Amino acid sequence: MLKCKDLVALSSDLLDGELTLKQRIAVRMHLAMCVHCRRFIRQLRVSQRVIRQLPDQQAPELETLLRAMQAQQQRASEPDQSDSSK
Amino acid sequence: MPNEQDLIQRLLKGEQAAYRELVQQYQGAMRAVAIAIVGTASADEVVQDSWLAVVRNLKGFAGRASLKTWLLTITANTAKSRLRKQRREVLLDDITGPHGTIDDARFAADGHWAQAPSLWHTDSPEALLNEQALRDCLEHTLATLSELQRSVLMLRERQALELPDICNLLDISHSNVRVLLHRARLSVFATLEHFEETGEC
Repeated sequence: MLKCKDLVALSSDLLDGELTLKQRIAVRMHLAMCVHCRRFIRQLRVSQRVIRQLPDQQAPELETLLRAMQAQQQRASEPDQSDSSK
Repeated sequence: MPNEQDLIQRLLKGEQAAYRELVQQYQGAMRAVAIAIVGTASADEVVQDSWLAVVRNLKGFAGRASLKTWLLTITANTAKSRLRKQRREVLLDDITGPHGTIDDARFAADGHWAQAPSLWHTDSPEALLNEQALRDCLEHTLATLSELQRSVLMLRERQALELPDICNLLDISHSNVRVLLHRARLSVFATLEHFEETGEC
């Protein structure tokens, strides 16, 4: 029988669909009987969604980056002059 | 993807709005890859170099991979060439966040909960994230995870990459990705649980 501690060890694999069939059945049976583990998994999924929705940290200097990209793009579209100068 | 094709065409025409869109959409994922490989200190530089490489090579993008995969591969390659073999062997670090994790101390000798998870006041991520103090607390937890743990978590949860893609980009084994992800998730869980119990970070 799966213990609560084993279930926690398998919890991330459960979220990612990485469990084997045998593990999946054992997890399902355990969850059917254990209210604490049901709560744990439910709240683990909540914390997964919290991370997904956590606002992004400010991207560093977007405008500077875009200017550098534009300059690179202009260089790329100009004919290569390094040979003709020889 | 039709939208992707459209975006690429606009990029090839040199449309600045398209570049802005591209950067805003993929910067976060590229940063997570860069941090995982070179660390936070050099990550922004790697991302910038990667974007310039993207601009240089856009014409050669054949569309065999998705745009996202292509961008992240360029980022990983840029980061790796900077690293020059001094690969940090910290893969299976056991760094946990400031509020610990769900470890052996939570279980009785028979493997059942000794201290069961407490019930949170809501299951709604939106409601939880309403509190600025909790958002700050989560940022703090993420910042204290190892760079690799944090990156794997970000790539999986926020960028929705599949585990094999994360393995390929970061050159780590499937089982290591699973371990890193598990530890990071438990640290985040412990922070939320702690905040729900005490109302503070």
